Amino acid sequence: MADTPAIETRGLSKTYPNGVRALVDLDLRVERGEIFGYLGPNGAGKSTTIRLLLDLIRPSAGGARVHGLDTRTQGVQARRHIGYLQGDLRLSDRLTGREQLDSLARLRARVDTGLRDQLVERFACVLDRPIRELSKGNRQKLGIVQAFMHRPDLLILDEPTGGLDPLNQGEFRSLARETAADGRTVFLSSHSLDEVQHIAHRVGIIRSGRLIDVDSVDSLRERSLRRITIRFARAVDPAPFAALEAVRIESAEGAVIRLSAPEPAIDGIVKAAARHQVVDLVSEPADLEEIFLELYREDDGLH
Amino acid sequence: MASTELVRRGVLDRTRALIGWSVVIAAYIALLAAIFPSLEDSENLDELVQDYPEALKDLLGFGDVLLSTGSGFMDTELFNLMLPLLVLVLAIGSGSRTLAGEEEAGRLELPLSYPLLRRDAVLAKSVSLALELIVVMAIAFAAFALADPLVGLDLDFERLSGGVLGVTLLGLLHGWLAIAVGAARPGRALAIAVSAGVAAVGYLVNGLHELASWLDPFRFLSSFWWLGQSPLSTGVQYDGCLVLALASAVVLVAAALLIERRDLEVP
Repeated sequence: MADTPAIETRGLSKTYPNGVRALVDLDLRVERGEIFGYLGPNGAGKSTTIRLLLDLIRPSAGGARVHGLDTRTQGVQARRHIGYLQGDLRLSDRLTGREQLDSLARLRARVDTGLRDQLVERFACVLDRPIRELSKGNRQKLGIVQAFMHRPDLLILDEPTGGLDPLNQGEFRSLARETAADGRTVFLSSHSLDEVQHIAHRVGIIRSGRLIDVDSVDSLRERSLRRITIRFARAVDPAPFAALEAVRIESAEGAVIRLSAPEPAIDGIVKAAARHQVVDLVSEPADLEEIFLELYREDDGLH
Repeated sequence: MASTELVRRGVLDRTRALIGWSVVIAAYIALLAAIFPSLEDSENLDELVQDYPEALKDLLGFGDVLLSTGSGFMDTELFNLMLPLLVLVLAIGSGSRTLAGEEEAGRLELPLSYPLLRRDAVLAKSVSLALELIVVMAIAFAAFALADPLVGLDLDFERLSGGVLGVTLLGLLHGWLAIAVGAARPGRALAIAVSAGVAAVGYLVNGLHELASWLDPFRFLSSFWWLGQSPLSTGVQYDGCLVLALASAVVLVAAALLIERRDLEVP
């Protein structure tokens, strides 16, 4: 069984009774030991996918396996492998953080209190005040601790860093990396690529219930466009640049031209620019956020 | 064990409510006991009630009991309406909150993502509701036991136990019904509406079926008809109690099956 993937879905679909097709025919495979970023705008179907994996909602077609266990028929066994953090975390307001964690720990057969205490210390959790008095960030930290505290093989985290300050976000990232280094799997959703690009090995991009791309972060970056800014000695006609393949003029104001282009087009740009007197030339890799938006735009073209 | 923890949490979360309910019910019994000695000697009261129209007596649950006796007084003032009403409010409130209310608040998602069966979660919540009712009714029983010798209510112990048991079962049935409705469909308001509606219609059918003959065939659907009236004066309907217990069991099984059949609602 060691070769079964952490998550495997086949034709997984969810149509809600009101007719909304929240997830359409998802085929996804997440290997053990990887950090997988599941990306998409709000309402794309990220939480729907996650709730299907946890058997909180039932698929209209297809199915999913977690460590080879069917999420419908072997849900309890499957969930033993999972630590889950919901997107909109709701805890018992009247309990203190400690009572809440103790209570959740007792819902599982085995919880290593040593590991829990370590996590509590790491995130500087507030344990002795009622949860209703805690800030969103402090609640979220309790949510992270409960997801990790039983040393699950698979972490399913729905927008885990919401409400966390940068320090704790950093702490969370190292925790995710350690978990993956340990051979365990982290599946995390986000609406922002920026949030996961530094930790995820691969990302899947979902939109309107359809998975539109799965790729490694590195190759996404390679495929990405460069932003090129050229400053000339005097005003230049942008038309020759616009005529180059795959090059787009972002702006052309007098002597400064801003372009976006993939790596292979750069040679042509430099040669075209060389016909004029160049004062400065800057080429910078596009932020992944822009690639992300670019993918969305491409996808729009298809429909 | 997951189920044990859910039961434990279910009862602990209701500690304050339970203390409140126990105080209210015990205080009400104490108040009645304090009033009783001043009515005991007034035979006029019985004559006054005897002159009420039959229909009114049936509806108010006066029947043929004597207000001047401890058992008749407690039947009329407590067992025929007030105690069932209080217990129904407690049971339906708690039953609708523990499942439908928690789901509406988004607090069911995290525990159900743990390795436990939904039906076990529903059964655990049903058990804690039963424990809640038992605690409150045990305190009511203790209040009777204390008041009886002090003011000479002269209650029959077996009838008192049976009467308290019957009201507990009435509460259990409607509380579990609220859980079952919450298991079938999300929404706390719906759970309250259905179970309170069933109780209210049952009460009316029981009070009026002898007067409106077309209602008579429906009396079997009334939980109050099975509970019976004036247990302290006329004896406990144990067969009716058995029916209430069986109906509760059926409702419980339905709740456990229904929760498995649907999507969890997300707020």
